[in-house]
Amino acid sequence: MNHDHIRREARASQAEHDAALPLFRNALTRLFDRDSRSEAETSSLLLGGLTRRSLFHIGGVSLAGAALLAACGSDAKSATTSAVATTAGGVATVSATVPATMAVPALSSDVVILRTASSIEELAVAAYQIAIDSGLVTTGAVADAAKLFQSQHMEHSQLFQAATKQAGGSPFTTANPAVLKALQPTIAGLKDEQGILMLALDLELAAAQTYQSNVGMVTDLALNKALMSVGGVEARHAAVLAGVLGQNPVPLSFGGATKVIAAGTGV
Amino acid sequence: MDISEQALRVLVAQADEQHRAGMESLPNDIRALHGETRRLRPVLSRGTDQRRLLRTAGIGTAAVVIGSQLLPIAGFLPRAMAADDAGIAAFAQSVELTAVAAYTAAASSGLITTKAVLAAATAFAGHHTEHAAAFGAAAGKSATNKLNKILLDALSPSLGAATTENDVLKIAYDLENAAAATYLFALGALTTQAALQLTASILPIEAQHAVVLGQVIGADAATMLPPFETETAFVDPAKFPVG
Repeated sequence: MNHDHIRREARASQAEHDAALPLFRNALTRLFDRDSRSEAETSSLLLGGLTRRSLFHIGGVSLAGAALLAACGSDAKSATTSAVATTAGGVATVSATVPATMAVPALSSDVVILRTASSIEELAVAAYQIAIDSGLVTTGAVADAAKLFQSQHMEHSQLFQAATKQAGGSPFTTANPAVLKALQPTIAGLKDEQGILMLALDLELAAAQTYQSNVGMVTDLALNKALMSVGGVEARHAAVLAGVLGQNPVPLSFGGATKVIAAGTGV
Repeated sequence: MDISEQALRVLVAQADEQHRAGMESLPNDIRALHGETRRLRPVLSRGTDQRRLLRTAGIGTAAVVIGSQLLPIAGFLPRAMAADDAGIAAFAQSVELTAVAAYTAAASSGLITTKAVLAAATAFAGHHTEHAAAFGAAAGKSATNKLNKILLDALSPSLGAATTENDVLKIAYDLENAAAATYLFALGALTTQAALQLTASILPIEAQHAVVLGQVIGADAATMLPPFETETAFVDPAKFPVG
């Protein structure tokens, strides 16, 4: 199979992907059609009677940072959190302090989590596009893998955006500005394919860990599965990328939490 | 693990094909996934016993191949899952211990001759041991600390019939994907944050195991790099009960 053939296949795949998205979106609007249970019943089931504010407090601690509290309408006027931008392998670590944008207090935690999730997916889409456009990816198969993973991130973003709407929020449709800003020095310093792969690995791990950390924090119980239906795939992407880089594709026995992007960051 | 450019190219091409095919069925698959959760939750909240769950949910069956062994699975969560977190954790523990046993059998079969593969299998068995311990702790008094004998019995013919390294790894690959699917399924049934978080932390590891094994055996990209995790291959506790 030559490169041209693969590229033709990839283009055809993209066309099919574009054609299928409207159908996909329509289906998604029905996906999260809530059942007749009340919010109180849902909260009680999930939290054992804890209030939502308590949930955020618990989540704020377990999800690494004050951003969640700020985003969900705590008394704090602003908060900061460490953006997740640590390059795998410790070669080009980037860790920046970024502002966590204050969200409207009325937003539910689900909306904040989902908006953050779609912002991460859009960030991944943008990052892969930077990689594709950079001219630094010299291995054809790596470029094709980047396009495949990018297309899957687009689907993930669509899922989270549809869920955001269903939860009563406004979907976040662009790359997470705070994390993107934190990553700019790394992006500017990219000079070879390995650097691209490491950045991609970092983002995949951050996405996987973020969705994992959100499980149990959502009030719509169906979202627990939705989050990990995506989180598991990001972990698969990470394993492929780690393998290409010659790193251990499964370095941990449990999903990590070192690269979690706190809900509300940048959105 | 290293992967050659050729292998990656083949993988990507397969995934592209799978992607196109998957876009048609994906909405239905995910809709079904979430529908199951909505049906289950009110039932579980009433403390309904499993027989009522069966009646409430109806019977849906499908099949998953683990190795060459056709395993029955359920299409509906209520039929499959125990009605409390401890029971689900106990079941998960039994699946993990079965995975450990399967890897142990594979390692001792003499069929795994590639040193790196044997090292990976040993590492994965170690991960499953840790997963079993964690689920056991979550299960508390419900933990049996035993493998799932019915599941192992279902796997044994395949393991016994394996004649090559690839045969053995294919069984492990299917088992890893089945474990990931089972935990996705479980996320729709669990209620406590601790159990949810634990399960969510283990699912991606099984998925990554599957990717590694899939690359070694040249697995179909449709199962190795799907656009979304699904419950299609989940192990049904009703068919493979604990103890």
